[in-house]
Amino acid sequence: MFTKSSRKPLGLVAAAAALALVASACAESDRDASGMDEDEPFIFAGAGEITSLDPFLTNDGETFRYARQALEPLLDHESGGTEIVGGLAEDWEQSEDGTEWTFHLREGAVFHDGDAVTAEAVCANYDRWYNLAGEFQNANNSYYWQAIFGGFAENESDALPESRYAGCEAVDETTAVIEVTEYSSVLPGGFSLAAFSILSPSTLEAIEDEEITGGDGDFTLPEYTRDASAIAGTGPFTVEDWDQDQNSVTLERFDEYHGEPAGFQTMILRAIPDENARLQALEAGDIHGYDLVAPADIEQLEENDFQVPVRDVFNVLYLAYQQESHEALGDPEVREALSHAVNRQRIVDTIMPEGSEVATQFHPDTLDGWSEDVRTIDHDPDLAREKLEEAGHEDLELEFCFPAEVTRPYMPAPRDIFDVIAEDLQEVGVSVEEVSYEWTEYTAQSENGNCEMYLLGWTGDYNDAYNFIGTWFSTHNDAWGMDNQDLFDDMAEVSSNPDEAERIAGYEDLNEQVMEELPGLPISSSPPSIAFAPEVDPPNVSPLTQELFAEASWQ
Amino acid sequence: MPTSPSSPTPLHKRKAEKVDRLAELMGSRTDEGRASGIWIDAFRRMRTNPMAITGAVIVVVFVAVALFSPLIAHYSPTSQAWGDEVFPNRNEFVGPRAENWLGLDHLGRDLYSRFIIGARQTLLVGVVATLVGFCFGALLGGLAGACAVLGGRWGRRVDNVIMRVIDMMLALPTLLLAVTVAALVGPSLTTVMLAVGIAQIPIFARLLRGAMLAQGNREYVLAAQSMGVRRHKIALTHILPNSMGPVIVQSTLTLATAIIDAAALSYLGLGNPDASFPEWGTMLAEAQRFLSTAPALAVYPALGIIITALGFTLLGESLREALDPKLRK
Repeated sequence: MFTKSSRKPLGLVAAAAALALVASACAESDRDASGMDEDEPFIFAGAGEITSLDPFLTNDGETFRYARQALEPLLDHESGGTEIVGGLAEDWEQSEDGTEWTFHLREGAVFHDGDAVTAEAVCANYDRWYNLAGEFQNANNSYYWQAIFGGFAENESDALPESRYAGCEAVDETTAVIEVTEYSSVLPGGFSLAAFSILSPSTLEAIEDEEITGGDGDFTLPEYTRDASAIAGTGPFTVEDWDQDQNSVTLERFDEYHGEPAGFQTMILRAIPDENARLQALEAGDIHGYDLVAPADIEQLEENDFQVPVRDVFNVLYLAYQQESHEALGDPEVREALSHAVNRQRIVDTIMPEGSEVATQFHPDTLDGWSEDVRTIDHDPDLAREKLEEAGHEDLELEFCFPAEVTRPYMPAPRDIFDVIAEDLQEVGVSVEEVSYEWTEYTAQSENGNCEMYLLGWTGDYNDAYNFIGTWFSTHNDAWGMDNQDLFDDMAEVSSNPDEAERIAGYEDLNEQVMEELPGLPISSSPPSIAFAPEVDPPNVSPLTQELFAEASWQ
Repeated sequence: MPTSPSSPTPLHKRKAEKVDRLAELMGSRTDEGRASGIWIDAFRRMRTNPMAITGAVIVVVFVAVALFSPLIAHYSPTSQAWGDEVFPNRNEFVGPRAENWLGLDHLGRDLYSRFIIGARQTLLVGVVATLVGFCFGALLGGLAGACAVLGGRWGRRVDNVIMRVIDMMLALPTLLLAVTVAALVGPSLTTVMLAVGIAQIPIFARLLRGAMLAQGNREYVLAAQSMGVRRHKIALTHILPNSMGPVIVQSTLTLATAIIDAAALSYLGLGNPDASFPEWGTMLAEAQRFLSTAPALAVYPALGIIITALGFTLLGESLREALDPKLRK
């Protein structure tokens, strides 16, 4: 609740604050447009703070942004695209049945602490994750491991599935073979996740006995996740410092990096939650770039010579109906009625950035598996009212959650989107109870099924439909409260089909099934923007929001 | 400061005999020749004071707008009827036009209606907050004052305890105190009223106690005591009524600060959680995002807050001046 006050001076009365803002918004930037000193730190602002220096324990984009610069997973994506290319492994092969993955590591690569990159080091990382126990097995602390590999060596909860990971073998110095029990379309994409960044053997040894303390929903991550000197990877930057009070992570160029050296000597990643504050910081020259530009600010920035590259569309925003939280939401007729009430076109036209589209299904049309034949839901308040009446819910009261104080790549102005949808719902006679949480709490509340309706979205991690629909609809979970066993079975069958053409046809069918079930209403897919100062030669922007800042430099 | 010994209330008529006797004893009736002279006198002086007239006009217009806002507003303040005509993502807003006098906000709601209904919220918050501050402040200050004047040793102790608590409250900046209260209770309209009201308590308390202490040394109190009037009766019917003048003036001034504080709290997101319902502070917070492109969205509520607060301040200040015996002709 206090988040809002933290970014505004309390001592100012509202009117004075408004006037001050007018003044600062109008103030001319005093940046020096001429060449920059090479040692000048490049400062980039994200919308949120990072949560852990060990990316394995998290699933948030801000942490992964840091991890992409300092650490490397086995595979990567092509710069500015979604195609999978070599990362720490120069190239790789897969066996025909997709259960054996052979990685050829880069020769001569070294970790930040001087350790050599060997197949054994890679296997040590994967084996560590596989053998994690205790609170590490909670979905909050090993989200992506569970999404890609299922369970652990010794599952401590019955809810965890058997692990898909079968072992890792160092065939020679630079060849590692990872075996999985069955083919799954999540691979090789899974190997490219920042969560699976390879840490040095010395780091692993040092953190071996660290434990997560605290109970469900309130974990304290181990000490090493806050200690910059504890983490050594192979990325183009080393981690120098994480100042939690200032919300900033300092990275230094790693001179022995195996690829092209980074363009900046020093890079600082800061967190500025408020989008106006980010804009003003850039205009004032306090930072040299920031992510998640408000659609309305793009024009102003471009007029002032800032660079605002737009990413390709690779996300979806949706309105979720938690089916177990309210008896009415378990009724497909009610979900359909609510969906007819929402004017998605208006959200896309008036709130989303240019190039956005109304989403017809739960992933963008840039992904294979997108179906043209899904059931479409038109904006039709009369039909919505009629259907609610038929279902006996003309006086429906629903709790509707949205995140306060945040912008996400798929969701530029949550409050506005909420206001529009709430008004649409009230129009058809649904009373909406407004609930808002600060971002971290919001994701926990919605994931634990504590919101009847909520706004959320997803940016793809890699080019596979399962990364979207499989994330939500492959098993019963508290986020959706959906119990459609047929859909879950089909999902498992399709995603483990090694035949690509069949798999894609399967995804199309799954998308149609999901829209019949209508667990939520996909709202839009939109292209998020990122801004840079004129003196920066920016990196290629990535639809996956995985920019590599080593590519960037001073002009 | 009121120096007349007589009370302007009906109390005076009911207890005419006794009060007359007291007044005679003190001989202060000759001051103006009338019992209620001080207020009438103050009113006369304010009538010719341009500051007072400006303040009064602003206050009267504001109160009238607030009271009759549902009749004056053209549309529902929450209706997004023109939602497809404004494009905040492209900075395309709709300015003043025949059907929307002040234009539309970022969600296509009628700004004029929101502004007018917002006035009502602002007045409600201001008045209730001031009443909270006034009642509790007067209670605490009155108790402390009465104890200090008439309570003897134990009374002074009670007074001491109460006033140290008040001092502690006074040590915290008003807005900080209000934010703390709001944070503890959770955001709602009631919270804002309570928070702003509580923050005003120490001012009222100190003021009333001070006035009562000043009255306590006056001869009419001594006279009443010597005549054997009970102590709580002296406090309630003699000292208290004569000490209320400055407190009433303070209420007018407090209304101004209460309006500003309430707007600030809403601006900070601690106000009415239903942000679709207009309140000037909330409107200001919403408009902040569009300051560079649609400044009008912020200008209307900001002007509303500034002018209203100015009106109450002018009125309060001139009332204070008019009642100040040092400035009397």
